[in-house]
Amino acid sequence: MGTIKAVFDYTLREHLRHKVWLGCALFGLVMVASALLASALARDERARVMLDLGLAANEAIALVSVVFLTVHLILQEVESRAVFLILTHPVKRSNYLLGRFLGTLAAVGLGMGAMGLAHWALLRLLGWPVEGSYLLAWSCSLAKIAIMGALSLFLSLALTSEAAAMSFSVFFWMLGHFSAEMRFLAQKSGNALLGAAITAFSHAAPDFAHFNYRDAWHAGVPDPGWALAAAVYALAYCGACLALAAQVFDQKEF
Amino acid sequence: MNALSFKHVGKMYRRSHLGRVSETVGLDGLDLDVRQGEVFGLLGLNGSGKTTAIKLLMGLHLPTKGAVSVLGRSVPDIEILARIGYAPEAAYLNRSLTGRENLRLFAALSRLPATGREERVTDMLKDVGLAHAADKRLSEYSKGMLQRASLAQALIHDPELIVMDEPVTGLDPLAIKEVRALILWLKGKGKTVLFSSHDISEVEKVCDRIGILSGGRLARVMAQDEWRGKPDALEDAFAASVKRTDGVGEIRLG
Repeated sequence: MGTIKAVFDYTLREHLRHKVWLGCALFGLVMVASALLASALARDERARVMLDLGLAANEAIALVSVVFLTVHLILQEVESRAVFLILTHPVKRSNYLLGRFLGTLAAVGLGMGAMGLAHWALLRLLGWPVEGSYLLAWSCSLAKIAIMGALSLFLSLALTSEAAAMSFSVFFWMLGHFSAEMRFLAQKSGNALLGAAITAFSHAAPDFAHFNYRDAWHAGVPDPGWALAAAVYALAYCGACLALAAQVFDQKEF
Repeated sequence: MNALSFKHVGKMYRRSHLGRVSETVGLDGLDLDVRQGEVFGLLGLNGSGKTTAIKLLMGLHLPTKGAVSVLGRSVPDIEILARIGYAPEAAYLNRSLTGRENLRLFAALSRLPATGREERVTDMLKDVGLAHAADKRLSEYSKGMLQRASLAQALIHDPELIVMDEPVTGLDPLAIKEVRALILWLKGKGKTVLFSSHDISEVEKVCDRIGILSGGRLARVMAQDEWRGKPDALEDAFAASVKRTDGVGEIRLG
């Protein structure tokens, strides 16, 4: 536990000193620009546009940050050979990976938190009627980002090419929003083998339908079972990706 | 008693590119024992297997055949790393952290108890002459300062065995003198020191014994009395023992 915390601390510090806060600055610019645009719309739609635009921008910026950071997370340390010194201390490779992942997630989460707070404050300023839970919508985005971080980390270690890992991460991000459609396609394919392959692929790719709280925003806060299922899915998917990443990382020689 | 031991150790590097597999010999049946409390120098040309032997020792590589044991335990073994200090040929440290933060990290990774850890970090920074730059980021350090920071991380947990890979390469004469004094000081404290070098004059000043590596094999072991007071004895033995394996011919004069 002590080694995970030590790796977590230095990873978080490293990110905060580097790039993550640029994401917040970018988000601030997007928010100001969108506020100007939104003000041109009808008064009663203004808050709604700001809500959707803000949540989507927060998620998109966090996605870019987390994919970029996790893809470079280990490969850059291997390239700079900083990993030599870490792994020549009594540190399990899986603990090192977990510390690095959690540190990165915390850095991106902090950025998302700062962006979320700015967004929420702007919404209140615009007189946004509180119907659903902003915190729940934000948490759903964070869960998606955590999944993408774990998946990108695994892909970076399995493919050992940053460009390939980033491309596949973006591919899985898009695929993750069409899981139900893929399973529908599998049913309609008419070929058992193809259907089974598509179904298997749809389960291997992340299923972001679990986190579609924004679609049901106006229905208010959903039942706790829904949130629990989403949390369990996110933890299980992250755990599986990290276990695979640790397996790949264990085989590597430096 | 032996501090470390290589028994018939072989290491083969396999690389495949576009379906073509190439193999390079790193070590070829290395047998070597280093006694506790001695300073042992590994001498050899580039590609002779010095760094490979050290990486096997530190668990960064796995042997293709044979066995390596350190302080009575077979490696790779994470627990034994808490009793070894490793200083690589260049300071592979995270440049976004300060000198103090780096040492804190390695103190925690080496499982130094939290109580007294901060004092140990401060003392070590003083010992290596970096107290004045402790809170500067490593990106602002000179090469000599980085080398000192690297030595500090290797010694922070007061290890029994210190492994140094090319510790004097690229250092100025004053720094070389300091490293030499450090090695002798460690010996005086009863530590075992293993270091690799190209520099015969340096090795003969501090080592109790040396091993000459050539083509991944131990070509010769010499004790101090075989070269002390005999000018050129070590250089002649070295020249007679090694064979170039890098395909480079001799320089022809005249």
